[in-house]
Amino acid sequence: MIATLRARIVGSGVDLILSVAVALVALLIALLFVVVSGVSIPRGASAFVTGAFGSKLTIAGTLSKMVPLTLVALGWIVAFKAGRFHIGFPGQILVGALFVSVLALKVSLPIGIHLPLTVLAGVAGGAAFAGIAAWLWARHGVNEVLSTLLLNLVAAQLLAWWVRGPFHDSSSPSPLTPPLPSSARWPELLTHTPLHWDIVLVPVVTALVWLLLSRTPFGFRTRLVGAGEEIAWHAGISPTRVGMKAIVLSGALAGLAGSSLVLAAVAPAMAENVGATAGSSNYGFTGIAVALLARNSPLGVLPAALLFAALEQGGSVMEGTVGISSSLVDFIQGLMIVLVLAATTLLYFARRRAHSHRRGPQGSRRTAMAQTEISA
Amino acid sequence: MSHVALAAIGIGPFDTDWLSAVLVLTTPLLLAGVGELISERAGVLNVGIEGFMLAGAFCSFFVAWKAHSLALGLLAGAGGGLLFAAVMAVLSVELRADQIVAGVGINLAVAGLTGYVFVEIFGNLPQVVLPSAGALRIPGLARIPDFGPALFDHNWTVYFAFLLVPICSFLLFRTKWGMAIRSVGELPIASDTVGISVRKVRWMSVLACGALTGFAGANLAVVQVGAFEQEMTAGRGFLALVAVIFGRWRPLGVLGACIALGGTEALELRLAAHHNVAAAVWGAATVIAAALAVYWVLRTRRGKSHGRSATVAALVAVAGVALTVVEPRVHLPNQFWISLPYLVALAVLAGAVTRGRMPDKLTQNYARGEG
Repeated sequence: MIATLRARIVGSGVDLILSVAVALVALLIALLFVVVSGVSIPRGASAFVTGAFGSKLTIAGTLSKMVPLTLVALGWIVAFKAGRFHIGFPGQILVGALFVSVLALKVSLPIGIHLPLTVLAGVAGGAAFAGIAAWLWARHGVNEVLSTLLLNLVAAQLLAWWVRGPFHDSSSPSPLTPPLPSSARWPELLTHTPLHWDIVLVPVVTALVWLLLSRTPFGFRTRLVGAGEEIAWHAGISPTRVGMKAIVLSGALAGLAGSSLVLAAVAPAMAENVGATAGSSNYGFTGIAVALLARNSPLGVLPAALLFAALEQGGSVMEGTVGISSSLVDFIQGLMIVLVLAATTLLYFARRRAHSHRRGPQGSRRTAMAQTEISA
Repeated sequence: MSHVALAAIGIGPFDTDWLSAVLVLTTPLLLAGVGELISERAGVLNVGIEGFMLAGAFCSFFVAWKAHSLALGLLAGAGGGLLFAAVMAVLSVELRADQIVAGVGINLAVAGLTGYVFVEIFGNLPQVVLPSAGALRIPGLARIPDFGPALFDHNWTVYFAFLLVPICSFLLFRTKWGMAIRSVGELPIASDTVGISVRKVRWMSVLACGALTGFAGANLAVVQVGAFEQEMTAGRGFLALVAVIFGRWRPLGVLGACIALGGTEALELRLAAHHNVAAAVWGAATVIAAALAVYWVLRTRRGKSHGRSATVAALVAVAGVALTVVEPRVHLPNQFWISLPYLVALAVLAGAVTRGRMPDKLTQNYARGEG
């Protein structure tokens, strides 16, 4: 008991060191680029820190960006723990946003009822859209990566049509919906900043997902299926059913992210590019990077999301202050994914070598990443 | 009414200009699609293909601008794709990291890197536009009235892309290399047993995919547009992925899928001008459905397929004939036509026949002794 506890603490300590090391290496590389751009390191670093945390406005910007990053990362983790990899977050965010716009614009209620209902609509939208991929996977054996890839493209077209056709604001020439009523929008937490009350979702949903995965029968079944479908099957658990539920729940979290992106946005009207970041990327993809940096631990998502949000916010401010393209942030985020993957596998190889004299080779076809996950 | 007006100024949905546009728009998809096909046949799903393409586009543009040479630019484009394919190969083949996550990471990194470097180098310059790439008129054929100039008066990369399909088909199904590639994607442990190096074959396939995809990006930047913009591939890499699924992992299928996707793209602008769906579009849909029905009926005869898909396609064809004749006054939004290929690809993916065609070990990394 104590031995396993110690092993777990040591294990998560190694994970923590790995994540911190990856983040540091990526940031050092970023500094290198800053120098190449002809900006001195102190000037670049201070421009970044001021851009992310320098004032009430920028801190609010950073925190508000944490919301979609955290929720998408948690969505990835839920599916990942069940052994399901899908990349449908951008599409689920969009469909969540679409459902949100229906309830926000077609129903009028007092804020106490309207806002929660609208948020729930977003959750339902994301879940329903993920449900298509889950159903195709469970009933027709369609690889969920391929199906969500296609569904992302469909969702983008769906929303492009939505804001030009049925929900177009006829008084505006641009493809926008009419402004959503304030009864459906998250109230501002700090006035005149991008920070809205939806920030409370970050700790609450993180805690819920952590509880769900580590303290409930569903979480146990999910982790068992993720560890090995055959074992789970012999234990009387249906990997298909658990996998479906995990994909749908994952989509629900992405839909929640979509609802926040619409209902806590600075502009009251909804455009077609919900989920697009300030750079050229999408929260639906950067959220995956957050989850990886957090080593798929729900609690680890908080610091990882804060780092990514600060990068987003600081990077976009830096573009104005010292003239470094905010694309650098996308590069650093992608680099972190690549580094985490590489470091994880190298760690796995090292661990296996250390254990190989005690245990034999482990027969499993799963990826190295999943294997460290099981042993951790 | 509007249909008549448009016909009067000569913009029908289908004409020789459209045909010419289809060839041009299909080219990058086809180059990338064939590359992805090779890689997927070897069991590596390259979601990072969008990134390879963007890297190819940037490298080709930069070199073509610096060296004043389109040929060097095209070469550099292939090199750019190759570089990031090597990253993908290290991650997926050597480190056995998850292929999908690796691809997502590469896409993000390349989008950021090209955007950053582009702003650093060209941010303060006036917009650079490269001289347009020359066309290679095929003697004789290009003189055919109407169709000749539309089909046989293009840059050489266009012909190259279409020639690549039979070459790839020959390579995959008639050579030892192709056998090795396919076996590694189906049952790597067996390939390993007979002395084929799974590592080497997968490395080669991923690199081939990178080079072809980079070349596709180069075609887009240097030949088609003559300039570079941030994110200029705009999802074309993902479309190539769709084409491979749609084409059921076969060279000819990929060709058909790429033409369908390129054709829709070319049709898009023309259809936006119409208020109603033109009879010609219903007619074209009918012809495609009828062709599919005939194809499936023939396959059913040979006992290779179930009759259900043929029945469905036949019903669609009948409905198409009805719609062509009646020409109802409905306006289907542009976005519907764009997403139609994706929906069809989803349906194709859900079909049992397709799943049988998917390389068995797609996305699964191979480790010796853990097979």
